[in-house]
Amino acid sequence: MPDVSPVDLSAADKERFQADALPLLDSLYAGALRMTRNPADAEDLVQETMMRAYRSFERFEEGTNLKAWLFRIMTNAYINTYRKKQREPLKVSQDELAEFDLYRELKEHDPAWDATPENIVLSNLVDSDIIEAIDDLPEQFRMAVVLSDIEGFSYAEMAEIMDVPLGTVMSRLHRGRKALQKRLWEVARDRGIVKGPPKS
Amino acid sequence: MSHHCKEVLEQAYLYLDGEGLTAVQRIEIEAHLEDCGPCLESYGVEKEVVTVIIARLRGSTPCPDSLKERISSALEDA
Repeated sequence: MPDVSPVDLSAADKERFQADALPLLDSLYAGALRMTRNPADAEDLVQETMMRAYRSFERFEEGTNLKAWLFRIMTNAYINTYRKKQREPLKVSQDELAEFDLYRELKEHDPAWDATPENIVLSNLVDSDIIEAIDDLPEQFRMAVVLSDIEGFSYAEMAEIMDVPLGTVMSRLHRGRKALQKRLWEVARDRGIVKGPPKS
Repeated sequence: MSHHCKEVLEQAYLYLDGEGLTAVQRIEIEAHLEDCGPCLESYGVEKEVVTVIIARLRGSTPCPDSLKERISSALEDA
């Protein structure tokens, strides 16, 4: 259990934290679940994040983005505490990521393939396929995809949350999405949804 | 694939996310996508991947009520 020492917040601040931060629990939990990839750890991470945030709430600047502030705390908590006991994320070589282009892949193996909504690969995959593909991404790429596409943060907010320059955010997100395309295509190929060479 | 195609596709995610591009760059990309079938299709695939993740996963795993209650009461006691 996280340490819950008495907090010296004003009554107004306490009320404000509860009113503003509690409605963000759904977002935090969704993010925590994809960071830790495990519901029990996600629950602990969210609770720890909320307690840390509460204890340092007087340092939060009113009028700035509370959701981004909470995610910054959660990302640090995850890196410092939970990551150590996690399994190693799948390694994807830089070359592999740079090379993959879903569109080119689809065209190459099936020239008749046409990017229309009716036969788009992804609509044939189930949610758990997509979650598994995200969970298999190397951590930094996974974070970028989760923060952007699941949580809806801007590049600038992501830079603040991950504590990296904007260019790094863009590169991680770009590579993460490319790697995700590759994984999704592999799943689709294995299911016979798209044509392609047999699994190597 | 022309040099311009390559440039447009490299910027596809920036365009998709509405980030990091000037108004002029956005208009140039739009004009190119309108004229170039392969780029439009390729961009469509990039967009579809992102759109599907957003549609399927955003808001799909709400915080369990038991955790919400636990946090509320921990805050009360803190």
